[in-house]
Order: sequence, then structure tokens, then C-alpha cells
Amino acid sequence: MLATVTLLAGVALPACVTVRPEQREVLADPAMIFGSGGDAEAHEEHVLSNREGSVGGGASTGGGCGCN
Amino acid sequence: MRLQLIQHRLAPWIVVGIALAAVGVRAEGGEVDVGATLFHEGGGPLNMTVITPSVRGRVDPVDELTIRLGWDADIVTGASVAVVDAPGARPDAITTATQLEDLRNVFSGGMELRSDYGSLRAGYSYGFEHDYTSHALTLGARAELFERNTTFDLSFAHAWDSVCDVAQPRMQDPVERRRLPSSTGCFSSSNTDLASREVALNSFQGSWTQAWAPIFVTQLTLSAQLVDGFQSNPYRAVWLGRSSAQEHHPDHRFRYAASLAGRLWIAPISGALHAMGRAYRDNWGVQSLSAELALEEVIDGALRIRARGRYYAQSGAAFYSDDYALSPRGQYFTGDRELSTMSSVLVGGQISYTFSAGVDGPVAGFMSSLALLLKADWLHSEFPQFHYGSAAVPNRDAVIVTLSLEAEI
Repeated sequence: MLATVTLLAGVALPACVTVRPEQREVLADPAMIFGSGGDAEAHEEHVLSNREGSVGGGASTGGGCGCN
Repeated sequence: MRLQLIQHRLAPWIVVGIALAAVGVRAEGGEVDVGATLFHEGGGPLNMTVITPSVRGRVDPVDELTIRLGWDADIVTGASVAVVDAPGARPDAITTATQLEDLRNVFSGGMELRSDYGSLRAGYSYGFEHDYTSHALTLGARAELFERNTTFDLSFAHAWDSVCDVAQPRMQDPVERRRLPSSTGCFSSSNTDLASREVALNSFQGSWTQAWAPIFVTQLTLSAQLVDGFQSNPYRAVWLGRSSAQEHHPDHRFRYAASLAGRLWIAPISGALHAMGRAYRDNWGVQSLSAELALEEVIDGALRIRARGRYYAQSGAAFYSDDYALSPRGQYFTGDRELSTMSSVLVGGQISYTFSAGVDGPVAGFMSSLALLLKADWLHSEFPQFHYGSAAVPNRDAVIVTLSLEAEI
């Protein structure tokens, strides 16, 4: 029980430590934003999901594979 | 007849497109992305080329609402092996390479509602090719907490897919099943020699994005996918010793993955270091690990250069065998090289330039920004336990090149 509470506190407390809005200039740069790769990133994920035996960690909902 | 069918399929999208354009005239903002990706894999008699053009549009009728429409296609040409390990005059020859062509279209649409605390989104896509159709519905929600330093995102997708196959007798033993020779006549009600096999996909994903410092952010992603239905390649057969049969995969697959990614801003180079690790496993026995490292540099805010490397390794499926005639692995058999032990290395680069509206007014008179992007990757794969007869996989190298243009209005 104590370990669970400690683990949850360890996860939750740092999450409350905020970066103030005036400090967010760098975080707003596309280089720091996950998923900002747009179509090029989506196309590559499509290719790799059809060339490897695993998917996940990204969005993939079927739709054929051009693999015949 | 074919033209009428295409018009029938496209008509709703044309209506929606016109409606969206009409809304866009009075919209708060919008974006149009046009791009194309070329994938080419070659080596020996086997090769595969896929050209993927895409057009996507986004309109914000009001600040709180975004409407999206998109179209993608896969134009596929190549040569693949129809009967894996079939005996031939030369034991090391790939004797059954066959030419293939296909065209896959995907139309998609969706909307997103936003507030200061998060967003809700829904989307639908319809994909079709000669031998495969897919309807997919996606729902998602995002919550932004602690002055947007913490973001939780949940999404669910369900897809109803149909695969063309030979009308196999219901009680026929899998080792007697024939492969589909071509897509001619697929999904035609008058062709009783062919049948439609169903696949249902349920995908769940959750992510936690956390800004830990003004220069450091991480993202933890957990995803799971349940696939239920026909998952073999209907065209591919496997040599079993005395004869060949259409490959036979289990009907149920449960896949799950976890990834942890981080981005660190490095002020002296005005750029960001990206790192990502991912672990995956499924109930077919495939386990994989991948690691990725990238460095992106921003020059004068407009020019961006990115270099990237990725390593991937996986184990084979529990029922995979390199030779089912000598070493069968239970009731299932496959000729899919992506179900064998494999590894791959990807290295690449990307360059983009963004023209932004300035004191002279909008770009070209109507755009707030225009971004051009060129991306190129080289992918090398190794399949140490997969052979065509005694020949190693010849087509292990591929290039992926993307050119795109994004206009924000």
C-alpha cells in the first residue's frame, strides 16, 4: 500500500510542477512537439507497419497494405 | 460501369468538399497539405514500388472547431513470390516471382471540438482497392492540465475490413486451400468462385505528455490492438512437402506496445534532440524492440534540418518455420517474411523551409505561411531465418522519399 502511494506520488507530484506560460517559447517550437511531422511521418509509419511484424505506439487502423 | 461506380463512391465526398469550401470562405483559418511519398524496395528479381500521393484540408469555422478532409492513395507495382519455397529446376532460384499492380484509395474526414482544457475528436475513413475494403471509425479525447504542462490523450478506433479470397469449402482442411490467383472479379456478387472474408480491428491508445522543464518534454504511449478475422495474404501459398496451400494464420491476434519518447532543446545549436524507445509483443509470439535518435536544427526560424537513425529487431512468430516440409510448426503456416526473425536499420534526413507572412503581407497574397519539405530515408533489413528455397531474401534495401507542401491560410 505504502509502495503504491509512493509510486503514485512520485508520478503525480512532478506533474504538478508547471513550466510557466512565459517559459514555453521553446516548448512551442515544432521541433519539441510530438506528432508534428505531419504527412511525411504518417506515410513513413504506414510503410514501416507493412514492412515489420509489429505496430503500436502510433495510430494504425487497417485499410489494406498493398502487400500482395 | 467502372466510371459510374467511381462517381457513385466519390459523390458524397465531392458534396462534403464543396460544403467545406463554402464554410472555408468565412472560416477563422485553414490549411491545405499536398504531398507524395515514394517507397522503392529492390534486389534480384523481387521489387516493390509504392507511390503515395495525398491531399489534406483543414478548416476552422470558429476557434473551437476544426473540420478535416483527406485523400491518400497507394499506387503499387512490383514482383513478389506467389508460392514460397516451391521446388524448381534450380533449388536456390526464386521460381515463382509474379508481377502485381494495385491501387488503394482512402478518403477520410473528421472534426475536433476544443476548449481551454482539452478536445474531443471523431473521424471516419473509407479505403478501397481491388481486393480489400475498409471502414474505420476513430474517437478520441484529450485533457490538458496544470497550465498545459500535462496532457492525457485517449483514442479508440474500430475498423470493418473485407478481404477478397477464393470461395474455400467450409469444411476443407487448410492444407488443401488454394491461393487467390488474381483480384479479377473480387467483390462481384455474380462471381461465386470468390468470397469476401471479414476482419475486425479494435485499437486502443493512451498517451501522457509531460513538460518537465522549459527545454524538456516526454511522452509515454501505451497501445493495444485486437484483430479478429482473416489475416493471411490470400495470394500467397507455402510449399508443404507434397503440395502448396494458401498460407494459414490464426484468426485472432492481440498486439500491445509501449513507447517512451523524449525531446530536449539544446540552445547552443538552436535545435532539439529526439529519443524514443518502443517495446512490442503479441499472442503470435512476435516480440520487438526499436530505438530511435534524431537531431533537428532550426536556422533563422525558417530553415530546419533533421538527421535521424532507427534500429529495429524482432523475434519470429511461434508458428514460423523456414521450411514447413521438414519442420512443420503445428496447424499454422506462413510465407510472410515479416513473421520471421528480422532486424532493420533506417537512416535519413529531412530539410524544410517555411515562408511566413511578414510586413509585406501574406505569402503570395493569401497565405499566412507556406512550408516545403523534402525527406529521404534508407532502410536496410535482415531476415536471417527466411529463405526462398536456399536463397536469402534479395530485396533487403529500400528508399523512402517524401516531398510535401503545406499552406496555412
